[in-house]
Amino acid sequence: MSFDISLILDSLPKMLSGIGLTFQLLILSGVLGLLLAFVLLLMRLTEKWYFSVPAQVFIYVFRGTPILVQIFIIYYGLPQFEAIRESIFWPILREPFGCAILALTLNTGAYVSEILRGAVLAVDRGLLEAGSALGLSRSQRFIYITSPLAIRLGIPPYSNDVISLLKSTALASTITIFDMMGIARTIVAETYAPYEIFISLAIIYMIFTFFIQKGFGYFENFMSRHIKK
Amino acid sequence: MASLLLMVIFGLIGAAAKLSNSIIAKKIANAYTIIFRGTPEILVVLLIYFGSAIALTSLFQLFDPSIKYVDVPPFWAGTFAIALIVGSYATETFRGAFLGVEPGSIEAARALGLSNLQTFVYIRIPEMWRIALPSFGNHMLSLVKDTALISIIGLNELLFVAEQATATTGKPFTMFIVVGLIYLGISTVITLFVMGLEAYGRSHLRAAK
Repeated sequence: MSFDISLILDSLPKMLSGIGLTFQLLILSGVLGLLLAFVLLLMRLTEKWYFSVPAQVFIYVFRGTPILVQIFIIYYGLPQFEAIRESIFWPILREPFGCAILALTLNTGAYVSEILRGAVLAVDRGLLEAGSALGLSRSQRFIYITSPLAIRLGIPPYSNDVISLLKSTALASTITIFDMMGIARTIVAETYAPYEIFISLAIIYMIFTFFIQKGFGYFENFMSRHIKK
Repeated sequence: MASLLLMVIFGLIGAAAKLSNSIIAKKIANAYTIIFRGTPEILVVLLIYFGSAIALTSLFQLFDPSIKYVDVPPFWAGTFAIALIVGSYATETFRGAFLGVEPGSIEAARALGLSNLQTFVYIRIPEMWRIALPSFGNHMLSLVKDTALISIIGLNELLFVAEQATATTGKPFTMFIVVGLIYLGISTVITLFVMGLEAYGRSHLRAAK
């Protein structure tokens, strides 16, 4: 067994050409997932059962099943129905890219809304009482008191979720998307050199993880600048 | 199940190494958690499956050059890979939980003349277990969900069987929904089980009636 450096140098540019797709997956589904999570959060925070129960069921289902199964249901499963193939969503669902975005969005939305809920519930009750004593309305309290504090509390767990989203994007390679992982798998199938290719890809992913962590670390520092000593 | 056991072992070893005084052990454990938490699960599964086949082949060829190729059973490759990944998460959980054990209890054990090993088994593990349980339950759930990844290397598990059934019946949605429901059932059972364990772990803290 030998470690072929020139092979790594050859295949690195090929793998890096998949970065764009990996980032598109990450950012699109990250942003859409955050929006979805926010909607789910508001649905759960209302006291109306016809809002909160569907949100709970959604979160329960998407957190209880593997993301790979979700991707397969959406990509292979949905076209089973005539209605979907004729609906206006077909142009999105026909493409593996659209399916991957949809699956990752729904999945990360479910996880992130739990994070947000935890952060909102962790905000000190006394502050909210002070707010209402000052005559702020419910929505004013949510915007001016709960949100800034909850954002700060939610950053560490949210950064973990972004990292696991990055790792989930690698699963898109199973439905014929040529992101970094998909390209790496093709190269391995051609050269049969799993060590060189997969280890160098692992290092690329680790570098990304590192930067995401650092970025969120700075953001957290910025958000908690008033409690620094 | 096999990977659950392996994962607990990896997690405990990792946590012990991170907390030990030896710098080398700490460095190794840190590298372990950084590597496996920073790379996609699917990558690790593929690397271990294809990689170990090559490594073992060349190892066996040292002894017997006539061997052309050693096939690694996907079950063990998958089990090992998933245990390594979730074990790296469990390492962090256990480390946090060990730090959460009150120093007073450990000092009390010293005062009673318990050895280091006895303190570890009778004092630290039971106390840290209670602290670690909620996040440990989450690790069990992600372990169950990660098993779906093994279908990629062709093991006859749920998802792989569903793919085959799809090929014969032509009804992918039905098949994958069934798989989803089975996973949902398993994770519900685990959640309930962990909740029960947590209640049991707290039983001595409940107020007497």
